[in-house]
Amino acid sequence: MEKACLKWTMLGSLALILAGCATYPDPATTRQIAEKMVSEDFTAPAPALLKRLVQDRSQQICSKIGDAKLTQEEADEVVRLARASIQYPASGKLVGDWKVGNTLAHDGAGDRIQGGRLEKRKENGGLCQNCHALAPGEINVGNVGPSLTGYGLQRGNSEAIAKLTYGRIYNAWADSPCSNMPRVGATRHLTPEQITHMVAYLLDPASPINKR
Amino acid sequence: MPTTRGGIAAILLACLAVGGAAPALAQSDDPLGVGRKMLAEDNPGELWIEQGRTLFHQKRGPRNASLEQCDFGLGPGKLDGASVRLPRYFPDTDKVQDLESRLLSCMVQLQGFNRDDIVKRAISPGGSRGSDVEALALYITSRSNGMKMNVSLGHQKEYDMFKAGEYLFYRRSGQTDFACVQCHGEANKRIRLQDLVHMTDAKGAQEVVSTWPAYRGAHFVVRTMQWRLYDCFWQMRLPELKYASDTSIALTTFLHYQGNGAVIKVPGFKR
Repeated sequence: MEKACLKWTMLGSLALILAGCATYPDPATTRQIAEKMVSEDFTAPAPALLKRLVQDRSQQICSKIGDAKLTQEEADEVVRLARASIQYPASGKLVGDWKVGNTLAHDGAGDRIQGGRLEKRKENGGLCQNCHALAPGEINVGNVGPSLTGYGLQRGNSEAIAKLTYGRIYNAWADSPCSNMPRVGATRHLTPEQITHMVAYLLDPASPINKR
Repeated sequence: MPTTRGGIAAILLACLAVGGAAPALAQSDDPLGVGRKMLAEDNPGELWIEQGRTLFHQKRGPRNASLEQCDFGLGPGKLDGASVRLPRYFPDTDKVQDLESRLLSCMVQLQGFNRDDIVKRAISPGGSRGSDVEALALYITSRSNGMKMNVSLGHQKEYDMFKAGEYLFYRRSGQTDFACVQCHGEANKRIRLQDLVHMTDAKGAQEVVSTWPAYRGAHFVVRTMQWRLYDCFWQMRLPELKYASDTSIALTTFLHYQGNGAVIKVPGFKR
């Protein structure tokens, strides 16, 4: 009887110790568990589309958890990769047609996957309206990113500004590593030509974004 | 009836969206808030609760069984307060499960339904009468209305799920470079006119966990948390999130745990 009692006490303690051991996994284990989930939990109409889930080096660096900050080395690496990624249009002309840019800025469609189908279009929308205030008085605009109202009025439309603006759209991380702004050129969401139209939309004095 | 009400709701929102109603509301500090309040006061989603109750008690499926023996963590058939503890670890499946994945287990094991068939229909087409899972999820959650979210981490798999969810919340990928936090990491942000929940803040997390399943005005149906997550990945241009997958349960665990203390009030009302 005593023996049995002792046995149960020991088993009980063991269970308590085991229960007490349950705790947060370390970062490497967490990463392993979560990455396994990502590799198993999504479907796509073509295997190549599953690659969208695979992170590039910059995305890995820019996925800091909570309030964790980028180290200087990490920020430098993201900037370096971003600068190297920027490609200019074959024509060399960085300022396109602001009217096309206006349409693009208000187009949030393209390349989404639903019901086993890819939303295939000739070109993707620019997505700007989702996050940025655009022309004065436009109400249906987001505020995740800074306002772009009067962008050209504040900066002029010199060649240097056009180049800076093109780069910021193509790969925003060249100036602000890991910012929320998607690298729409570098990730191939938009083509270089499309970006030149956005540049025109932002800089041209006749563009609605620069109306007072 | 739900269609008519939803239609009115959609028209109201459409007016707000194109700015047609803006001048009249401009005097208010929060013009959009006025419209939102009007919508929240009359929720067609209530009608899905009765449908869910009927489905729960009905003998259905190849085994001709009801869901009355389904254990959501408090014992077979005990629904009051069950969803405030979800997701949680279930020894019989050896998995951490959210409400919908648990429901799925019961429909397969107790009623004999084919898992793939249920999953295929789980998220209903907009404007339809909704799916069984949507109505059931709403009914079961509604049995916790007025109670506080109280998710606990104790089992190792619960800790693992929570941490995986946190990792995924911050994991950027795809052509938009988005993780959840890009849109849900700050207060008072919007995508176009739609408010974004600030999920890294306790209050924001509480708002989200206490209002799903919700009636979605633009779709005229009740939507669940599984749908909400699926739709975010769609908009992020990522592949399709599998229904009741571990990724979805990890994110739900992360959000629900942070939303502890929120008082459940379903159906919520969403745009």
